[in-house]
Amino acid sequence: MPHRLAAHLPRPAARRLRALLPAALLGAALTAAPGARADEAFVTSQPAEMLSIVDLPTRKVVATLPIPGKPAGIAVSPDGARAFVTSPDGKTLTIIDAAARKVLHRVDVGGGPLGVAVHPSGSPVYVADWYQHRIVAVDAASGAITGEVKVGDSPSGLAVTPDGRLLLSADRDSNQVSLIDTASLKRVATVAVGTRPFGVTIDAAGKRAYTANVVSNDVSVIDIPARKVVATVPVGDHPYVVALAQGRAFSTDQYASTVTVFDVTSFEKLAAIPVGDYPEGIAASRDGTLVYVANWETNTLGVIDAKTLKLLADIPVADGPRAFGAFIRRTGP
Amino acid sequence: MKLKLLTAALAAAALAFTAAPHSADAHGPTRQKITETIEIDAPPAKVWAVIGEFHDMSWLPPVEKTEGTGGNVVGAKRRLVLQGGGTIDEVIAKYEPEKMMLMYRIEQVDVKVLPVTNYSSWLTVTPLDDGKKSEVEWKGAFYRGYPNNDPPPELNDEAAIKAVTAVYKAGLAGLKKKVEGGN
Repeated sequence: MPHRLAAHLPRPAARRLRALLPAALLGAALTAAPGARADEAFVTSQPAEMLSIVDLPTRKVVATLPIPGKPAGIAVSPDGARAFVTSPDGKTLTIIDAAARKVLHRVDVGGGPLGVAVHPSGSPVYVADWYQHRIVAVDAASGAITGEVKVGDSPSGLAVTPDGRLLLSADRDSNQVSLIDTASLKRVATVAVGTRPFGVTIDAAGKRAYTANVVSNDVSVIDIPARKVVATVPVGDHPYVVALAQGRAFSTDQYASTVTVFDVTSFEKLAAIPVGDYPEGIAASRDGTLVYVANWETNTLGVIDAKTLKLLADIPVADGPRAFGAFIRRTGP
Repeated sequence: MKLKLLTAALAAAALAFTAAPHSADAHGPTRQKITETIEIDAPPAKVWAVIGEFHDMSWLPPVEKTEGTGGNVVGAKRRLVLQGGGTIDEVIAKYEPEKMMLMYRIEQVDVKVLPVTNYSSWLTVTPLDDGKKSEVEWKGAFYRGYPNNDPPPELNDEAAIKAVTAVYKAGLAGLKKKVEGGN
């Protein structure tokens, strides 16, 4: 049966085969395995100006999409329907239909759009402007700019609490995190953290946030309701951003070419896992068993077992992967 | 010859004592990477003997003097003193003789000397022709010299790429000359 053959081939081969099949058979091939499509990684490659879409179970790039303007930041909507990509050189936000791999809007946000996060409801999308020290809110459906809020200097990483009430911004050159009330789009607090915080990550309970501090080589752990730092944990040289899985924090250490792992309760360091050179974006699988890391220099997406802390695989992707943000796309329930 | 640009930049550096210092860690939005390679008619061990000596970069034409301490180990530092008086301070980040790979970073350079920030570099020797010859790869990763938006032309991404490419081409040519000349 042609569709069975296709199902057993690596995806690119299957795609080539499908291209040769009559339309009727193609339909049969696509309907043969309902719900079989698995989660994906949407990896921005800055110098290549490319989005690499990686099928996570097969660990293969199944699609690429050119994105101009040196794409860096990425946020996939919670339902997996949309992806939002920032291009700091192009000064744009690109809104993508994630399943169709199609660009829907290019929004001129000006300045230097870098960090990006989506509200848990799917809209708005928040874009950090690295140069004009503000966060711009963009309507996810229309691409219209609906508001902005001034924050500290060079905001980079953004994250929204799971209840949707607070937006956190790592204000890199002010060594602080800004807390913004999403309903009013007003800043309600700032919390001083380590030196040059770049990425900010919020846990599933919405209680704690973690900033990777590039210059002080540590991670600040923030108690969000208390609005204060409760721990500062040393990690490797030039940490970029943190992912959370299995009660552990995983920081990408750009200069050390490692992922440092520590326990989020005891803050004890568990490992420094050698990965590719210049690791940047990092994110956990939805079930928390795996952690994916984009290695900018090596052009790979590394796969780490979050329990054994072993590097399982390196998936080749387009040149200069950054994947700064929530880059794992849900494809099923 | 692109080297002219470098020497012109170096001459400018000698005059530009009042250049404003940049914040050591601010940088532009897009990290750049380049790679240059050259084939050298000598076995890899002979090429590595030159590259692997961190405290002698006399094979890079504009370097007048290499000052340094700490041997060939991670953390060792050197200062390249260039024609015209510019300096570049560098530190070993990785030193892997078994792979014939040296990685180092620039700790301090005036953007008038080299219009880059957050610069990292890799030098790797691989065998060619059953080890009778070698290929040297010189990779660099860096941000442009200007940390803010809308950079002036002399400090934009293209200027950074052009300057580092010129250094690598001149350096690899100098390395080839030094190694093959010593045969």
